[in-house]
Amino acid sequence: MKKRYILIPVALLMALTTSCKKFIEQEPQTSLSEEQVFSSIKNTDLFVLGLYTRWRDTKKDRAGFIFSLGSDESQQGAYQVLTDDRQAGIDRYNGFLTASNTALTQQWDTRFKIIYAAAAAINGLNTINSDDPLKNVLLGEASFIHAALEFEMTQYWGEIPVLDKAKQAEYGYRRQPLPVVYASIIADLETAVKNLPETQSEKRRVTKGAAIALLGKVYLYAPEASGVRDYAKARDQFKTLVDGGRYQLVANYNDLWDPQKPNSSESIYEFQFNNTQPDNNQTQWQMGSRSLAELDQYCYFGGYDLMVPTIYAYSDAADGGVWETGDQRKEASIRYDFTYKGKTPTLNPSFGGDELDPHVKKYEDVRTDGKLTFWLSGKNIFYLRYSDILLCYAETLNETGATAQAVQLVNSTVRKRAWGGTLPAAATWDAGMSPADFRTHILDERMRELCFEGWRRMDLIRSGKLVDLVKQRNKWTKQSNTIQPFHNRYPIPLLEIKQNEDISESDQNPGYSNN
Amino acid sequence: MQKLIQKAFRAFCVVLLAVCMSSYAYAQNLNVTGQVTGKDDGLTVPGVTVSVKGTTQGVITDANGKFSLSVTDGATLVFTAVGYDRLEAQATTSPMKIVLTSSNSNLTEVTVVGVTIKKRDLTGSVGSVSEKVIKERPTTNVNQAIQGRVSGVLVQNNDPRPGGASAIKIRGNNSIQFGANPIYVVDGLVIDGNFNTINPDDIASIDILKDASATALYGSRGANGVVLVTTKKARKGEGKIEYNAWAGVQSFTKNIPYLNAQQIVDLRLDAYANRYMDQNPGADRNTYIQSLLNPAGSAAFGADELRVYNAGESYNWLNEIRQKGVQQNHTVSFSKGSDDGSSVYVSFNYTDQKGLLKTSNYKRFGGQVNLDQKIKPWLKIGTNTNFTRTEERYIDGGVFNIAANANPLLPINNTDPYLSWKGITSTDLYNPLRSLSIDGQGNQNRLLTTNYIVATIIPGLNVRSGFSVEARNQNYYNYIPRDLGQSLRNSTEGSATHKKEDWLNWQWDNSISYEKTYGKHNISGLLSFGLTKNNYDYTQVDAQGFAIDDFSFRNLGAGYKKDRFNLASDFNTYTLTSYVARFNYNYDNKYFATLTSRYDGSSRFDTGQKWGIFPSLALAYNIAREDFMQGSMLSTLKLRAGYGIAGNQNIPNFGYASLTNAVYSSGSVYIVLADQMGNPNLRWEKQKQLNVGLDLGILQNKITLSADYFIIHNDDLLMPRSLASTTGFTTVIENVGSLLNKGVEVNINAQVISNKDLQWNVSANLSSYRNRITKLYGNTDAIYRYGGFTGVEIQREGNLFLGKSLNSIYTYKFEKIAQQSDMDRVSQIDYNGRTIRPGDIIPADINGDKKIDDADRIVVGNTDPKFYGGFASDLTYKGFGLNAVFNYNVGGKRINYLYEGLLGGTGEYAAHTDELNRWTPTNTNTNIPRAYQGAGRYGAGETDYAVQSAAYLRLSALTLSYNFTGDFMKKAKLSTLRVYLTGSNVFTSTPYKGYDPEGGDSYPTAKMFVAGVNVAF
Repeated sequence: MKKRYILIPVALLMALTTSCKKFIEQEPQTSLSEEQVFSSIKNTDLFVLGLYTRWRDTKKDRAGFIFSLGSDESQQGAYQVLTDDRQAGIDRYNGFLTASNTALTQQWDTRFKIIYAAAAAINGLNTINSDDPLKNVLLGEASFIHAALEFEMTQYWGEIPVLDKAKQAEYGYRRQPLPVVYASIIADLETAVKNLPETQSEKRRVTKGAAIALLGKVYLYAPEASGVRDYAKARDQFKTLVDGGRYQLVANYNDLWDPQKPNSSESIYEFQFNNTQPDNNQTQWQMGSRSLAELDQYCYFGGYDLMVPTIYAYSDAADGGVWETGDQRKEASIRYDFTYKGKTPTLNPSFGGDELDPHVKKYEDVRTDGKLTFWLSGKNIFYLRYSDILLCYAETLNETGATAQAVQLVNSTVRKRAWGGTLPAAATWDAGMSPADFRTHILDERMRELCFEGWRRMDLIRSGKLVDLVKQRNKWTKQSNTIQPFHNRYPIPLLEIKQNEDISESDQNPGYSNN
Repeated sequence: MQKLIQKAFRAFCVVLLAVCMSSYAYAQNLNVTGQVTGKDDGLTVPGVTVSVKGTTQGVITDANGKFSLSVTDGATLVFTAVGYDRLEAQATTSPMKIVLTSSNSNLTEVTVVGVTIKKRDLTGSVGSVSEKVIKERPTTNVNQAIQGRVSGVLVQNNDPRPGGASAIKIRGNNSIQFGANPIYVVDGLVIDGNFNTINPDDIASIDILKDASATALYGSRGANGVVLVTTKKARKGEGKIEYNAWAGVQSFTKNIPYLNAQQIVDLRLDAYANRYMDQNPGADRNTYIQSLLNPAGSAAFGADELRVYNAGESYNWLNEIRQKGVQQNHTVSFSKGSDDGSSVYVSFNYTDQKGLLKTSNYKRFGGQVNLDQKIKPWLKIGTNTNFTRTEERYIDGGVFNIAANANPLLPINNTDPYLSWKGITSTDLYNPLRSLSIDGQGNQNRLLTTNYIVATIIPGLNVRSGFSVEARNQNYYNYIPRDLGQSLRNSTEGSATHKKEDWLNWQWDNSISYEKTYGKHNISGLLSFGLTKNNYDYTQVDAQGFAIDDFSFRNLGAGYKKDRFNLASDFNTYTLTSYVARFNYNYDNKYFATLTSRYDGSSRFDTGQKWGIFPSLALAYNIAREDFMQGSMLSTLKLRAGYGIAGNQNIPNFGYASLTNAVYSSGSVYIVLADQMGNPNLRWEKQKQLNVGLDLGILQNKITLSADYFIIHNDDLLMPRSLASTTGFTTVIENVGSLLNKGVEVNINAQVISNKDLQWNVSANLSSYRNRITKLYGNTDAIYRYGGFTGVEIQREGNLFLGKSLNSIYTYKFEKIAQQSDMDRVSQIDYNGRTIRPGDIIPADINGDKKIDDADRIVVGNTDPKFYGGFASDLTYKGFGLNAVFNYNVGGKRINYLYEGLLGGTGEYAAHTDELNRWTPTNTNTNIPRAYQGAGRYGAGETDYAVQSAAYLRLSALTLSYNFTGDFMKKAKLSTLRVYLTGSNVFTSTPYKGYDPEGGDSYPTAKMFVAGVNVAF
């Protein structure tokens, strides 16, 4: 009798053994694997949206302005400099601006992850078997983002690793020579120009116009050593855009900063934000004045003074600054008056001292006023603006021997608008100026038109003026007096050197300590 | 086990000594022989001590349970053995048949996964704690009860909140990050974590399995040790009712000496003046200081601060959030066992603990039902089922830290949303008194049930099937009222959170075991097969915008900021399959061998890597049983050796695949790559463990010693390692390298005095281990851990260096406080933008290249203790008992983050009274840096300045008890009545300058005075 019972568990055991192979196979239930994403165009589309969001998020909050510090138009507020040595190094160009500078490392870190993801998307789209027309559009979009970020990185760091899945074996993770880096950027942008549509119904997606504009900028901004700086090619790209007529300056410069008027005719591409987390950008938290934050936490121009204009950037020409009489851009870009709801804030003596000096106004988001903390500020942020393209176009005209035409272009568009539509004779540039004079003028004009919008550092690097002008105009750089030509590049982060087997300590940019 | 031996021998020795003191002039004229068998199984019992009552005379039974000795006529023999009830019998001339009854069957058997085995078959290294020892420290947390009682087990009470768990490590770190903790097996069910729902009053014994052979039955999950918990079962005989209760009051073990308001002002003035003088050499310091004290506009003080200063006031915010921590615990149990092996045990428990900080408390109630029934002579079924409900109220996480480090110049108020320093409001410093109105609550329901059916097919052959379930749901609720700083800062207008988590883990184990004795050969074997499935899911809702606070978190629908509602959920499952074969052999109870092999599969690895084979072998030699040892002073002498491979798969699910996340933004969903890169080559981590041990007993086991030495070579170490951002990811889980871990463990017990009225026992244990990373992936010699505000800073802890301990601290070395005489030397070194003036910290230029850079950052020490353990003294005089339990830890280091913060020297933040001895031009013989406001010099946290010794000696429990005996008990019909007073954490001696070297600094550690009672009838 009893022997029968033995058979039951034995039989059970046998049956289970066969089914237990299945038993230990489990799949994720709430996420897709990388392979699953790139196996369908629909999934890849969502992934490309992710690239946009992460690229946008590099412009958010404190991190969004690190490259803008240490320039001749903007610097850190005094209280920030007093309390954070390492971040202060970005303005002081001293021993704290080294490989272990965390603020810079963070920029490197976030951007390369997006570049990698864009490369993965490009590879996925190049290998997927689909005749969905969306495929090519997505390829254009991913290529654009890949190029935009590589361009930004190489401008600030010089030779960078080029992440391209198709060439992974050849390239590894080494720093590539500038010609290789720029060739990759240009190839990506050409793909983008070819595949992107003229318009996109979703504003966060880039268009053909943006790709043409950026390609022009790459030819203009590329360093000589890359072998691709080419004013004529740049000019041709800009000309296509200008002649195309799709983009127009808005009549009133002030409207550019009105949160109720986003994505205007002047906008070639802007990062889309709103007042709801996670799509806010906290920008005002970094730009506003601590004195106002103390007065009222919901004052829309309160904040914590991460970045403030330099004296040069907020002063009139008469006082040695950049602003000419009658230029409407001054009041639109910079806040001079801190009276709020009838109250005049006082400077707390234990603050840094510059809290009631002029502040950046372009990011103020009046929609938050009285209702939301300025941490939830979320106005769109420009990436490519038509007036920038006009000024770039003028520069390329000047460099290709058409200085008079360049002057005429600036007078009749950007400067005319700056004076409310009628440019007074005193403010009209002389069409007979020399190409060298034009270069000087255009550099200041770019500050007046585009200040605090993120292009200044690149403009200073490409014009070779970074060391001179920043030393003169940036309070902290001047005080420290340690800026040197090697500071035209940032240091490769220690984090990368220590973990990337293809980059060693000796690959550091010259002048920097691996500390 | 040792405690049991001790217990048995204590009783024995009491008798012996009592007799020694009387006369022993008896003639020996009777030869007695006999054999001892066990009642349950009818098998002979070797190793039973047979002594003659009233004499020092005695023998031990041989392998067949036989004994012979010569006694006086009419003598009484006393039979004692571990795990059996003491028996007295009149000596007879005819061969005696002695049948010993198991004192408590679950003291000799343990249920491991899917099978019940004899404890003595747990070859290898095992440490045990008995019910009696657990009772010695009134606590609701099992880990605390065993702290310091077993060698090789490091229990750290690093979460001193009410109901907080304790960390437990067996033999130091073996794995790096994943599964560094042991698993707990409660009556055969494997549970990870949340051990603190188990009521210590229900525990009959805890066995800690330390080496590969001992843990082999758990294979895949036991690589870092196994804590085997066996709950109580009824003893045979009359039913029993027991009631245990205690109540106590808690207070902080220590207060940090903070500077008061006046001292903060002095410090800040000094700091500002030092900076001013550095920048304006030759200026007038006093004039400057006077300008800072001008209430009309000071650069250093807020107007209100100066008012407080001039009024001579000082404010202690911490006092405002403290409360008395009253705690109580009650357990009542009912048990009855019958002769056929059926038994029932039912208990109920209630615990109520108030925390030391306002609003925090912890309540737990639950019940245990243990039932064993013989249905047929060959069929037995049973269940061990426990239900626990816990309810908690939390104090908001930031409150303690903010209150402890609040500005003493700031009058206490509950109206400002934020606190301030220098009159500058910081939106990071939420007013702690207002934060007390945050309504944080949690509760948990947990059902643990293990059920079995076992059939004895023929004698010795058992077929067993067990099904165990852990069902747990946990709820967390939080509400932040509208007008708190937290709500203002984020414009939430009141925010509520619900998080509901569910776990459903089941385990099905099936086994066939056989045991047989052929002459002196004893063999047993086991085959088993098991399946485990763990399911987890959660749902979280965050809602914002509440018009009124009255609903707290309870009415999510009443939130109006619908666009800011946040929803989240996840579901995941992982599964394990295992096959085990085990074979035991012993010859004459002298030579022992156990061979085990496991074959485990886990869903956490990719196809092709799922399975691992883990064999182990243990050998033991009981030398005391050899003939040549008879009559020697050594009553026990046993050598043990074991070697085996244990597997570890405690990594997150799906580490083998690069996954993506779907995230909501701007009205749509996008997909991003997760931070973790997939690694399809992931495989089982393999720990090769060698253990050799020795058990020794001398003078009739009055002194026992057990010592073990182990070497663990861990290959294919599983660890997440950080990646260069150019890879596109942040981390990858990899089999990154190898680790060598060696150590020794010693336990000693001694009966110092044992006579009728007075007994004194002492025990001590010591453990020591050293670990070293012997290999890292590729040619790498370091893996760094990043973190900090930006997430990209190399951290001081958590980095791995070839040839160093896992627990290394990596930073710049503090050389000294600069003196004027150092200035020449300092001026020749490049400090990368820092300036060093007399009174500042100098970091050491390790490589002497006159430049402080990354190359000067070194491993300055590690957090591993050199050795640790505990010792206890147990003194009883008649009914009185005085028991003291000490824990100690020597040689471990700890970064004192709190102290670093308190030595900033700016006077713009809370400060330690050590600042009173700070460097000044007239007080140069000091190690405390000078006061300085502003940046530019090295801070304490940038070097190992505040890496402090975490050594300590702690009197963790001191108990005075009285056991009622005699007529009173008979009249009251009580079998036990014991009353006691205990002080926990009464005394701690440590050089560590934070709150506690163990508990850390995020929440104060408590001491407690307790009064309790045990009653049984």
